[in-house]
Amino acid sequence: MTLRLSDRIAGGIILLLAIWYWWVADGFRENFGDPVGPAAFPQMIAVPTAIFALFLILRPDPDPKWLRFPGVWRQVATLATLLIYPLLIEPAGFPAATFLGAGALARILGGSWLGAVIVGLAVGPGLWVVFDPLLGLPLPLLPKG
Amino acid sequence: MEMLGFLADGFAVALTPTNLALALFGCFIGTVVGALPGLGPVNGVAILIPLAFSLDLAPASALILLTCVYYGCMYGGRISSIMLNIPGDEPAMMTCLDGHPMALQGKAPEALAISAISSFVGAILATIGLMLFAPVLVRFAIHFGPAEYFALYLLAFAAIGGVTGTNPAKTLMAAGVGLALGTIGLDPTSGTERYTFGVFHLFDGFHPIVAIVGLFAISEVLLYLEHGQEAGPRAVIVNRAFAKWSEIRRTGGAMLRGSGIGFVSGVLPGAGASLGSFMAYTLEKRWSDRGGFGKGDPRGVAAPEAGNNAAAGGALVPMLSLGVPGSGTTAVLLALLISLNIQPGPLLFQTQPDVVWGLIAALFVANVTLLVLNLPLVGVFTRILTVPMWILMPMVVMVSFVGVYSISNSTFDLFVMVGFGVLGFTFRKLEIPVVPVVLGLLLGAQMEQNYRRALSISGGDHGILFASPIALGIYAATALLLGLAVWFAVRRRRGPAAHEEQAIGD
Repeated sequence: MTLRLSDRIAGGIILLLAIWYWWVADGFRENFGDPVGPAAFPQMIAVPTAIFALFLILRPDPDPKWLRFPGVWRQVATLATLLIYPLLIEPAGFPAATFLGAGALARILGGSWLGAVIVGLAVGPGLWVVFDPLLGLPLPLLPKG
Repeated sequence: MEMLGFLADGFAVALTPTNLALALFGCFIGTVVGALPGLGPVNGVAILIPLAFSLDLAPASALILLTCVYYGCMYGGRISSIMLNIPGDEPAMMTCLDGHPMALQGKAPEALAISAISSFVGAILATIGLMLFAPVLVRFAIHFGPAEYFALYLLAFAAIGGVTGTNPAKTLMAAGVGLALGTIGLDPTSGTERYTFGVFHLFDGFHPIVAIVGLFAISEVLLYLEHGQEAGPRAVIVNRAFAKWSEIRRTGGAMLRGSGIGFVSGVLPGAGASLGSFMAYTLEKRWSDRGGFGKGDPRGVAAPEAGNNAAAGGALVPMLSLGVPGSGTTAVLLALLISLNIQPGPLLFQTQPDVVWGLIAALFVANVTLLVLNLPLVGVFTRILTVPMWILMPMVVMVSFVGVYSISNSTFDLFVMVGFGVLGFTFRKLEIPVVPVVLGLLLGAQMEQNYRRALSISGGDHGILFASPIALGIYAATALLLGLAVWFAVRRRRGPAAHEEQAIGD
């Protein structure tokens, strides 16, 4: 019998958030003449959410397998790519940033270096051409100077 | 028949050259996305919604594009079920059972053709059902006031908790999380800032589409990476392009039965396509199994495919006529409608009949296009399965980024999307369903508005929520569904536990 910590921790976090959520709503100012006000609905949500979270703490399901090596490294690398990529779009321009982002993802997913460069070249400038001139969605082309 | 007149108007909308081109494009892209293992209709529609939205398409055109993608994904999903034994999405699971054995026996063309034709039959029959039943439901729902709507939203959450989730407590908690996330931003009635921490970007709240793309598409990529290339699946090789007609003809009855069962389970709130294909398969097996089911019986392909597509059509009935989606995909379509400033519900049929009937016509157009596209092009689509993931996945991710970026042109939304991706990944690992989160985010504002409207009518007396017989009936149905959900969950928990005890006893 394991401790089934995953569900208990998740339940605990959501329970705390629900309590905090209820408490913050308590500070919303009521408008004159509005019988309900902005606080009632959030507080109404918070109560059942907290109860179900408590249920999760008391009656958790079996733990999932969180870390599957070597998949974890790919997940970490992908997440890093997904977080860095948005920061690059405006400074580096869309085609260059997307070249790097798509290339990195291709490499993480098991492509060769050459393959990753080809995917990056196809996706980066390719998507820009499809979306900006052809479909008329403005995307930043060049680095902001 | 005034309905046929409306339908003719609908076809006039759907058959313009632009919309036909969009339909063709949507069907093709949808089939490709659906054929990729792991990416089902919800993902397909989620990835393409931002595009339809930011391309400034007219509401009817956007709907046509996305319903074509939706049905295209359903058609595509069966390709990976049959060829790889990997369901493209949950409802396609039952197709694997007999479809893959058929492919292994060298009958891949028959299996693919049967599933395409039965998908078509199921979808067309369900669309006819939608035409007949939605107006009836509308006539009933037109009498609903804010109190009844509030009850109806509760019912929607109870329903989705009852049937879809494995653990109803987790499903309902997820709905609560979604509703809570939905209150972030400026309160539309009083202008109070709620949970914004003064962050300017949060004043408008989370855009549901940004959340959907994160919860479904990004979390899917993270899940995929876990056991990505470990076991590279091999596609079955197809030698012949055309199917033998004799095999297909035998499945006619299975298609019709599957469609009927699928449509009914689709209309039930919360049931959706998975239940439709499951019920259709199980009942067909009981009806006509002579020992061949599970070993490549063509009727085992026809019934669940017809059921799955009929259920998808059936799920549109409550979504369009009440504004209450019953499944993941209809929730995504609802997100699209709300983004286009269209509020589904009984009034939609009166104020914007062109949208409703254009959509219904689009369903017909989509399915005819798909059938025409699928029978001869199956070879091309199966070839796509052999393109390695490291080429396809980066494209999927980058298209999601472009789509979300184009909604607001802000990198903030991209981080929100990645954040929802991590949330979706965590929830899915914990077997907490993400569909209720989306539903909460989508329906929260409407639910709160109806609640406040009801109470301002009564001057703050909560009794108004329980005053009308309709509302009481809806609450009774809600209680019944919750009771059923708890009963199923307890039985499921007991089941394996009882087995363990027995094993120990032995």
